[in-house]
Amino acid sequence: MLLKTLLVVPAAGLLAAAAGCRGGEQRALSPGGFFGAELPTPVAKPDFTFTDSKGAPFPFVAKTAGKVTLLFFGYTHCPDICPVHLANIAAVLDKLPDEIQRDVLVIFVTTDPARDSLSVLDHWVKGFSPAFIGLTASDSVLAAAQAMVKLLPAERDSVRDASGGYGVGHAATVIAYTRDGRGRVVYPFGTRQRDWAHDLPALVAYGRSP
Amino acid sequence: MQWWCAATGLPWNWNWQWYPGVHLLLLLLGGFWWILGRRQRWSRRPTAWFAVAWVGLLLTLDWPVGKLGAGYLASVHTVQFLTLTLLVAPSLLRSIPADGWQRLAPAGSRRSRLLHFFAGALPGLLAYNLLVLTTHFPSVVDAAMTTQLGSFAIDIAWLVAGCFLWWPILAPAGLVRLGVFGMMGYLFGATVVPTIPAMMMVFSDWPIYRLYELAPRVSAHFTANEDIQLAGLVMKLIGDLPLWIATAVVFYRGTSRNRGLAHA
Repeated sequence: MLLKTLLVVPAAGLLAAAAGCRGGEQRALSPGGFFGAELPTPVAKPDFTFTDSKGAPFPFVAKTAGKVTLLFFGYTHCPDICPVHLANIAAVLDKLPDEIQRDVLVIFVTTDPARDSLSVLDHWVKGFSPAFIGLTASDSVLAAAQAMVKLLPAERDSVRDASGGYGVGHAATVIAYTRDGRGRVVYPFGTRQRDWAHDLPALVAYGRSP
Repeated sequence: MQWWCAATGLPWNWNWQWYPGVHLLLLLLGGFWWILGRRQRWSRRPTAWFAVAWVGLLLTLDWPVGKLGAGYLASVHTVQFLTLTLLVAPSLLRSIPADGWQRLAPAGSRRSRLLHFFAGALPGLLAYNLLVLTTHFPSVVDAAMTTQLGSFAIDIAWLVAGCFLWWPILAPAGLVRLGVFGMMGYLFGATVVPTIPAMMMVFSDWPIYRLYELAPRVSAHFTANEDIQLAGLVMKLIGDLPLWIATAVVFYRGTSRNRGLAHA
């Protein structure tokens, strides 16, 4: 009886855990075959000229033409979402073949230009990957760019912490543009590396004849 | 206020946080041990062993280790696992002297039969390994650590797993079932199954735990991938060490006893 109890109880726990594990693995693909959420209507690229972290002008549409572009609005003092998103994308790209890496641009646009000076932005973005691009612009351009890609505009918190710092509420979504320049898939916070690993090659291959 | 450390998803900070559940548990444990010793009139009170267990629990479950392990770093979570199973649990078992165990489970009693049963190699290994595997399943960890009750259950499960693991080695005379070579084989056996989650952490292409992959970073220079790989390495490399040391101690004591008997 005792041995039976000893075997049955933990085994039941293990089975339940295994069932839970399988349940967690069931992830739904979008109609286009992505783990990210496909937009019902693709969005256009923000047709503005930003400034890159070296101080050079960055006409977004021209500079990203023909590439899969991951666009993310955030800020370098962000304590959670921004570093996790960028670190996960960097970790995945690092393991993907060179031809995929070459075809993907990761662009981080600051929503806190007051604190994110060019040097701060450059140091922070390159800390994730030397290939990542950090961009800044005036407040008006940033607001217009976010509106153009249908994101809620970032907003600075009115409350300051003990050190005088502040948070910036911003969209936690990465927009993925396929090579035709259309933003088709969005990735909310919570997107995992295995999802990126599946979707990035699919985004690169999108629109290519089989 | 949180009564037990659990993942909150909030950015990490070094502000001290009070977890009343941890302190209540420690108070109850201390009181129970003290009263048990008085009621049973122990011949000696293994204070040092109890102090190791008590301080080990405090350091493992309380801020900052408890908070870091519950919601931020898989490597710290693994250190908690190792501390609870390999340090706190055996120290707790040793904090009750042999005559205390005899009074807790008088010969022929149902309790004695139960303790005798669990002093066997197979029940010990089965119970320990099943608890270890279950509590390291990604879906279990991801779900449990986000609630205080779940996080508490994982911590207690590790403590119980450690007791299962060490009981066949530390059971007092009258309850012990394994000989020297049985104990050595048993300890070797205990190193095998935890290799599975450890290797999954080290060699998986992508982080196996959603919780730690998406947790706010404690340091920008320590990525989730590095953290989870480190957790696997710690679990295997550091986790095996006490078991190998215990094997050596069992062997040394066994051969010393045999030499003593041969001389007598």
